[in-house]
Amino acid sequence: MKSPASRRAARAAAAATCALLLLAESAAPALADPTSQAQRIYQRIAGVQPSDATLDAMVTDINASNPLAAAQLATSDPSFYNVVLKNFVTPWTNRDQTVFAPLNDYTATVIGMVRDDVAFNTVLSADILYKSNASGLPAVSAANNNHYATAEQNGIDLKATLVATSQSAAYGLPTAATAGVMTTRGGSSAFFINGTNRAMFRFTLINHLCTDLNPIMDITRPPDRVRQDVSRSPGGDSRIFLNNCIGCHAAMDPMAQAFAYYNFDGVASNETVYTPGVVQAKYLINSQNFNAGFITPNDSWTNRWRQGPNQVLGWSSALPGSGNGAKSLGQELAGSSAFAQCQVQKVFKAVCFRAPQNQADRTQVATMVSSFKSGGYKLKQVFAESAVYCMGP
Amino acid sequence: MNRFALSSPRLRRVRQAAALAALAVLTACSSSGPATTANPVTAPPTVQAYSGPAPENADVQAFKINLWQNIEGADKCGGCHHAGGQSPQFARSDDINLAYQAANTVVKLTQPSQSEMVLKVAGDHNCWLASPAACGDTLTVWIQNWAGANAVGGTQIQLVAPPSQSVGPSKTFPASSASFAAKIWQPLLVPYCSRCHSDNAQTPQAPYFASANPDEAYADAQSKINLDDPAQSRFVVRLATEFHHCWTTSCAADAAAMQAAITAFANGIPTTQVDPSLVVSKQLSLLQGTVASGQNRYDSALIALYQFKTGSGSVAYDTSGVLPGLDLTLTGNVSWVGGWGINIAPGGKAQGSTEASQKLATLIQSTGEFSLEAWVANGNLTQKDADIVSYSGGDTTRNVTLSQQLQQYEAQVRSSKTGENGDPAMLTALANNSAQASLQHVVLTFDPVAGRKLYVNGVFTGDVDAQGGGTLAAWDNTFALVIGAETSSDHPWTGVVRMLAIHDRALTAAQVQQNFTAGVGEKYYLLFDVSTLVNIPKSYIMLTGSELDSYSYLFARPTFINLDPTQKPTSIPIAGIRIGLNGAEVGVGQAYIPLNATVSATNYSPTAGQILSTVGTAIALQKGPASDQIFLTFEKIASKSHTVVAPPPPVPPAPVDTAVNPDLGARTFDKLLYTMSNITGVPVTDSGVAGTFAGLQQSLPSTESIDAFSASNQQALAQLAIEFCHQLVNNSTLSAKFFPGLDYSQPAGTYFASQVHVNLVINPLIAKAQIVDGHGVQVASQPTVAAVTTELNNLIAQLSNGQNGAGRTAAVTTAACAAVLGSAAIVLH
Repeated sequence: MKSPASRRAARAAAAATCALLLLAESAAPALADPTSQAQRIYQRIAGVQPSDATLDAMVTDINASNPLAAAQLATSDPSFYNVVLKNFVTPWTNRDQTVFAPLNDYTATVIGMVRDDVAFNTVLSADILYKSNASGLPAVSAANNNHYATAEQNGIDLKATLVATSQSAAYGLPTAATAGVMTTRGGSSAFFINGTNRAMFRFTLINHLCTDLNPIMDITRPPDRVRQDVSRSPGGDSRIFLNNCIGCHAAMDPMAQAFAYYNFDGVASNETVYTPGVVQAKYLINSQNFNAGFITPNDSWTNRWRQGPNQVLGWSSALPGSGNGAKSLGQELAGSSAFAQCQVQKVFKAVCFRAPQNQADRTQVATMVSSFKSGGYKLKQVFAESAVYCMGP
Repeated sequence: MNRFALSSPRLRRVRQAAALAALAVLTACSSSGPATTANPVTAPPTVQAYSGPAPENADVQAFKINLWQNIEGADKCGGCHHAGGQSPQFARSDDINLAYQAANTVVKLTQPSQSEMVLKVAGDHNCWLASPAACGDTLTVWIQNWAGANAVGGTQIQLVAPPSQSVGPSKTFPASSASFAAKIWQPLLVPYCSRCHSDNAQTPQAPYFASANPDEAYADAQSKINLDDPAQSRFVVRLATEFHHCWTTSCAADAAAMQAAITAFANGIPTTQVDPSLVVSKQLSLLQGTVASGQNRYDSALIALYQFKTGSGSVAYDTSGVLPGLDLTLTGNVSWVGGWGINIAPGGKAQGSTEASQKLATLIQSTGEFSLEAWVANGNLTQKDADIVSYSGGDTTRNVTLSQQLQQYEAQVRSSKTGENGDPAMLTALANNSAQASLQHVVLTFDPVAGRKLYVNGVFTGDVDAQGGGTLAAWDNTFALVIGAETSSDHPWTGVVRMLAIHDRALTAAQVQQNFTAGVGEKYYLLFDVSTLVNIPKSYIMLTGSELDSYSYLFARPTFINLDPTQKPTSIPIAGIRIGLNGAEVGVGQAYIPLNATVSATNYSPTAGQILSTVGTAIALQKGPASDQIFLTFEKIASKSHTVVAPPPPVPPAPVDTAVNPDLGARTFDKLLYTMSNITGVPVTDSGVAGTFAGLQQSLPSTESIDAFSASNQQALAQLAIEFCHQLVNNSTLSAKFFPGLDYSQPAGTYFASQVHVNLVINPLIAKAQIVDGHGVQVASQPTVAAVTTELNNLIAQLSNGQNGAGRTAAVTTAACAAVLGSAAIVLH
């Protein structure tokens, strides 16, 4: 309980902060200098102030025309992992897309991959998992998120304690069934729970190709793989299907078929359920909505967007565009130009606080996309490059 | 088989027998054999007493009571086809056996709907109702009742080759009615047809192609116009060869005038040319397909039936054949649906008269059970208390109501176990989401033992009527049957009803399943001739086709079949099938493009052919089922192939510069937490800090956008800053490290009168907040040291002036610390 004096002081302090806020806003446009640039690079990457010594070192790098080295210093701050990356990734791991969600294995795995410069185009396909080796944490479990939630509550330094393992080892999922963050417990519990597993496809698109389904609707794709649960005459009006529903389902359903063997049991076991060879019941529900619709027989998927206007998503010519299961679908999605573009755009926005707004920004993004792809898909590098670009004059 | 013996124990027999005027005849037959089959329900016929020879056998008797009694009146067939009248004299009343012989020449007992008598009447031959289709359906029921068990479904469909029509240039109706109105409607239809074919005519006669509303007229006229061959337009043929109400003394001249008008209209429409490079089948219209009449419904206890085939007008006819017909009047926002049905929009309903509705109460009360069967598509899943079908007297009194409650169906039935409003209602389980916004077969049954049962898409929902059965003695026969709302128009429901049947028996699960399997609407087998493409005569790709709704066809199960059973086609590759309409491939819904199959001896059956795909697809209709010419194209079939050149992907539009965004952003919640922790040295796990942060977290900025920064964000971060500073000042170790030399034991008023002591507070704050760098040099992007110092000096002076009480120094220090931590120097980055 604070004393009355403290409370009065607090009120006065609050008033003073307002005054200082206005003061700073008026001062903000002032010309920057290497120290300001260094400070901004560090704050944008790590979210916190650098130490005086680090600031000096960064100024030295900038004065030596090597601002990238300065930025790389910032990526070694633990807050880059515990704060910036965590909040960068957390909205990807839940349907509400909220940042106010507990740390989970999805987020921790991305953080670990960034720290270790693991090629980020494996994020949707690898048998990968990161956990903390800090003491006092519950063991990683397929049935709960306690390990990660406790690590966050305890303020565990993720940079220092994350260690790589695999989902097959930690969760017992067959290696062939692992598909990067999609099959982490965080991903599964958010997007394989209930529903028809189309959520996993949609949210993976949103989070890793930076587009929802509506902007890339293509009603000209063949609807032969649209499942029975999609009415072709919703409310008795087939125009709705032929002008809207088909635009997403014609391509989504043949790709979401990759998840046909997955479910998340949110009632009993709280674990991912994987049934190789047996299609989950959720794929066959509401079969009378359109009896002549597609009946899912297996987890074979096909990318119908390799034809038509969505070729512009830049599908890899090195991949076949079809396959079985989530892992190969993850490779297909992460092999697209849109995936690389999306990752860079997300980082650019996280660091520069804006989407690319003019030709200079777009050119910079294109340059970073190019180096991201050619340099082994290192996301940490994109943070550094973005911070340098946005370090101010 | 004796279909009408009175020895049946069933109540129906008793009721029917009591109702029939020909009781004596029936009694004469009642001494032979046990009852085996339930007779259909009929109502008291208004016939003159028959005094001719007795029926020679049971089938003549069946003919007499099921068909003859219904048609022998002068207002129906008996007006012409009587003894000595027009042949065939199947309605003659002098000798039932002769009438029977004549009737046999115009009925098809195994397929009643295909009887010549039915087809003739349905083709507008002296229908006694405004709708020829309704007459045809009613006749069908009567013949079906006569045929009884002979009219079973599931018979082998005899596929009939359609006329050979090559795909040619074609025309499609324009969306606007303007040209039609100017060239046909205004000069001909309005002056010469509107006295009948208009909804505001004294005796409205569907279709309303002469409606005062040109758009409505246009919609109804399209099926009467042949754009590709105006002379074959129904408008022209009706005048030229059927002499239907010609307006001059010369039908030929009137027909010529009509043809000229249609020709002028058609000439104004551009022709769609067929791409000569396509590999195409022959073409046909949906109605040129073979009717798939194998479906067999269980209708033995039918007492009211609405198939909504009329397609226009304001009456939905009861074609159950059980008189009196309980026809429904469509009011408000109700429109007809292609492929049979009505679409009930907000404000619309279909209601019968209370007088005609009486038959429901009368017949159902006598059996004590009933079934209400409907094919419905709920317009949405957000409507509740939405009455789909109701037999009621108002919002609070009803005999029975089937309604939609979001994703549940609800049944209210008045019985000895429920109230006069049918409550408590029975709902399908919430978790089952039984109601969908798609076409569903929904059946409510009631029997005296189990009470209410609901079936959706042929399957019992599993919901048990907690009230159980009971009697229906309390049913009120003054209520009215209504679809789409309450009789008061309250409780509106929107959606499509494609069929409604009311039975005076509780259908069994098997019977429900049977009726579900029979489906709704007419299906056709469409044979697309590919003989020349595969070089084998009588080769076809067969599609099952139907009208999905007013806007689309449903095509399914492409099948390769040869109508010559001796043919055994082998090794015919077929790939990339597209559906074309009126000379051009359709853009949307092409489900068979990925198809890639080979017809092989192993998979081919001479009777069933070889199914190439099991899926179906919706294809938007253009001119309507009678006019749309449907054909198939192939990327590959046998030795013929066509390479489809995909259009290049569209070039994305050039990006557009956006408004310039602020260069700075606000620190978000975690960034603030860790920044303040780093500056003060107070760990984020400190219980005071952690508790405060947990409470404030979502009030702190969640996005860096300055535009989104609000006063509540500032309040929250001020509180967080105060908490950090409070913990800092109250932790002697951290405080000594942060504020070296500062003595909290000194009285504030005296202590801070000295600038030296004030600087012990201000200088560390400026340094730690990195307003200056490690060398004391101003960071250009931060507030100036002078400005910050001035603010802090003023703050400390205000708080300490004359304040020498215990703890005041620490409080003032906390305030100064919080002022910096909560300031833009920290918040902005």
